Amino acid sequence: MRPFLALVLRCLDGATQALNVIGSGLILLLMILVGVDVAGRNLAGAPVAGVPELVTLSIVAIVFLQIPQALRAGRLTRSDALQGWLEPRHPGLAKWIETVFDLVSMAVIWVIVSTTWPIFTRAWERGEFIGALGDFIAPTWPVKLTILIGGSMLILQFAARILRRWIPLSPAEARP
Amino acid sequence: MTPFEIGLIALAAMFLSVLAGLFVPIALMLCSFLGVWAIKGTPLLASKLMALAANDAISSYFFGVVPLFVLMGFIVAEAGLGRDAFDVANAMFRRLRGGLGVGTVGANAIFAAITGISIASAAVFTKIAVPQMIRHGYAPRFAVGVVAGSSVLGMMIPPSLLLILYGILTEQSIGDLFIAGIGPGLLLAVFFAGGIILMAIFTPGFVGRPEGAPAALPPRALLAKGLPIATLIALVLGGIYGGIFTPVEAGAVGSIGALLIGLALRRLTWAGLWRVLVETGLVTATVCFLIIAAQMYSRMLALSGVPAGLGAWAAGADLGFWGLMILYVLIVIALGMILDSSSIMLILVPLMLPVVVPMGVDLVWFGIVTVLAVEIGLLTPPFGISVYVIKATLDDPAITLADIFKGAAPFALIMLAVLALVIVFPMIAIGLVPGR
Amino acid sequence: ESYNVTVVAGHPPVFRWVRMISESFIPAAQAALEAEGHSITFSEQYGGALAGVGEELEAVEAGLAEMGTCQALFDPAKLAVQNVTYYTPFVSDDVRLIAETVNDLHRNHTEMNLAYAENGVFYLGAPIGIDDYALMTNFPVTSLDDLKGRKIAAPGAAINWLSGTGAVGVSGNLTTYYNELKAGVYDGVLVFASAALPGKLFEVAPYVTKMGLGAQYAGSICVNAEWFVGLPAEVQTALVAAADAAQVWYHDDLEAFVQIALTKMAEAGATITEASPEMRAAWAQGMDNAAKTWATELDAQGKPASLILGLYMDAMRAAGATPLRDWDKE
Ligand code: NA
Ligand code: NA
Repeated sequence: MRPFLALVLRCLDGATQALNVIGSGLILLLMILVGVDVAGRNLAGAPVAGVPELVTLSIVAIVFLQIPQALRAGRLTRSDALQGWLEPRHPGLAKWIETVFDLVSMAVIWVIVSTTWPIFTRAWERGEFIGALGDFIAPTWPVKLTILIGGSMLILQFAARILRRWIPLSPAEARP
Repeated sequence: MTPFEIGLIALAAMFLSVLAGLFVPIALMLCSFLGVWAIKGTPLLASKLMALAANDAISSYFFGVVPLFVLMGFIVAEAGLGRDAFDVANAMFRRLRGGLGVGTVGANAIFAAITGISIASAAVFTKIAVPQMIRHGYAPRFAVGVVAGSSVLGMMIPPSLLLILYGILTEQSIGDLFIAGIGPGLLLAVFFAGGIILMAIFTPGFVGRPEGAPAALPPRALLAKGLPIATLIALVLGGIYGGIFTPVEAGAVGSIGALLIGLALRRLTWAGLWRVLVETGLVTATVCFLIIAAQMYSRMLALSGVPAGLGAWAAGADLGFWGLMILYVLIVIALGMILDSSSIMLILVPLMLPVVVPMGVDLVWFGIVTVLAVEIGLLTPPFGISVYVIKATLDDPAITLADIFKGAAPFALIMLAVLALVIVFPMIAIGLVPGR
Repeated sequence: ESYNVTVVAGHPPVFRWVRMISESFIPAAQAALEAEGHSITFSEQYGGALAGVGEELEAVEAGLAEMGTCQALFDPAKLAVQNVTYYTPFVSDDVRLIAETVNDLHRNHTEMNLAYAENGVFYLGAPIGIDDYALMTNFPVTSLDDLKGRKIAAPGAAINWLSGTGAVGVSGNLTTYYNELKAGVYDGVLVFASAALPGKLFEVAPYVTKMGLGAQYAGSICVNAEWFVGLPAEVQTALVAAADAAQVWYHDDLEAFVQIALTKMAEAGATITEASPEMRAAWAQGMDNAAKTWATELDAQGKPASLILGLYMDAMRAAGATPLRDWDKE
């Protein structure tokens, strides 16, 4: 059971990291895109169409692609005062509170993911776009898809926190 | 229960769940969901509000460039340009107590002329300034406090996203607002610097013990260390004010510039660049996820009518000009504890406008007062976005959220003092505006 | 019966189309319903408090608000055919006529209402007209040649209007025009007088050339369909009548202000000129027919854009407008 669990967690972390890489790549792409637009406008009198629209779309994708990794890396914002106080005194209680918090987090993100699903399918079926017809348009469904993927991954990472808390893996087993 | 009462309960619930250690964005989302459910009587509407906010809240050109500004700062730090700049500052201010703190404020004032958003200032200077200040012997708590405090300059000194928002809300000229922001912004910087020097002299326990006067740098070394960063600043400021690119585009151009300088100096490796990109992504995600959650919370509060009720009460109270201004500032600061800057402005400014206009209040001045008061909220718990940005960027468990809030507290007080000055002496703000 | 209605607008209350709701629509609706023995209270959520610009339709569809400003201009994917005026410049500078024409199209043609039905809302009325777009520049314009290589900012679909002028079309919006003009990022903008005065654009782009690019239609008040259908007939009628009253109020206020705006800008030193007929003709003739492309693309998606384009142009011509190009017939 434990080797299998370790494998599952490794796969999850790998997928989380893959999303992280895509998100970071998007940032690099944005930088280049804006740079080319500025250069094109000033040097060639030919701006790149749709840069503001692409920037507008990308930020949502960047956030949802990277937020699972942010949780995994312990970067999600929280106050650790109570936990810091509780942990050494009542470790069992601290563990239970943390678990409840993770379950609540999973539920909250589930609400967002499940309600985004119909928004995604509609954007896909109707070809919803951002921009102006005749100048530049980009479909919005890929961004909605990143909310679904990133949100689901975030739920799984919360679940992984619970597993790791109750079934400690040796460093060798947990190695990515 | 009336929606108003539900709103009040949601406020208390948010305080408690954040203190109990629930992740801040999750706490905000949970309170919004339960709040809207209670107000509208259906979980379906509550979940729709959450999904719409997740899809739309940060989906704008202005938010879209946040990662690019963060990236520029991180490249500057990775390429060692930040360290060099601080060596130069240290050499220049070496006879000054708290010299590096003053240097950080000064650097932030310059960076403020490039960025329109305080989040970027906070992220960038956490990366650049905090390690350098700690390296030179400052207390970590003080180092992060200086960065949190001076990050507010990003919104006071033009360009400023909040002043643009105020201009749209009130139909005031954004150009006038920008000019009016210069005086209070510089005054704030001067007061921050003065405060740092005073704290270094009188509360060395809080500031830490910076090493004794460092050796002066020979002019050659000064030039070698100062030139790269000066080039980058000249490129970005020159580009903005020379009409080559917009302040919104400055993050991308600055990143490219910093990248080229770093590569030319052979200080930047491709591996380092990738590390910086990943780090930029994590900070951006953390902060923007918070902002999405804050938007949900603020929409829930709007439906409850609590902020509108507060504003209407202030607007209706027959207090005269001074009473109204004091009450207004108090309400803004109170809301600043729990809401993000733009939400406060969206809710309160339209409510106050019909009240202050008949009083003959200068709306440009009123905008500066509003933005200053709103920006205090960046530093106050439990929802202080500058503090959260620093925490996310720092990635150091030894420095807690509470440490950063405590470190920032003196700077919030200094802001309050400057705010009082701007209220009493409007010329600080509107003195430079043509035609006033 | 007493009704509680949440009304949403992404713009703050300084905008005329938001004031139209508070100052005209709501009092009119309240008076009409009281006369029928009902009462109605409104919770007004403006300026992005509940939904941002272009997100109002989603909020109304979701039921977070019962009614709101459905901004076709800022939500062009969902209200595609409603943007017909932005693809047909040089048709008319009469904002009241354009608003009335678009309103009539909605009232008389089911094809015009398909987009609303698809999104779970219902077109109530109160069309938001935008006064005639002019060219504001930091250099004098006497002929089309003056525009060659100049960077001119325009919002959304209006960037298509710059095709063939020789100008470099840059996509921009009102919030940054002043500073970008001042810094020289743009040499000019396409903008309407009622926004140019409060934004003080005349300080940085003092040459106002009235090109007659045309007044426009930006959006309307829409209501949640499920909610509206459930209302008694007399309440529905009262709300529609209130929207009609708001339409009159809005365009009276707007037309008066456009005159004030032009006068004040001239007093402040702006040079306001009418473009010569030759220049207007040259501009119009040089343009791509973006309306045709737009209609073809939407037709392919099953949206009746060509039909609406024809209906709109016919109605405008019938009302006495003299378009410089017959966008529908080329
Ligand atoms: Na700034
Ligand atoms: Na706060």
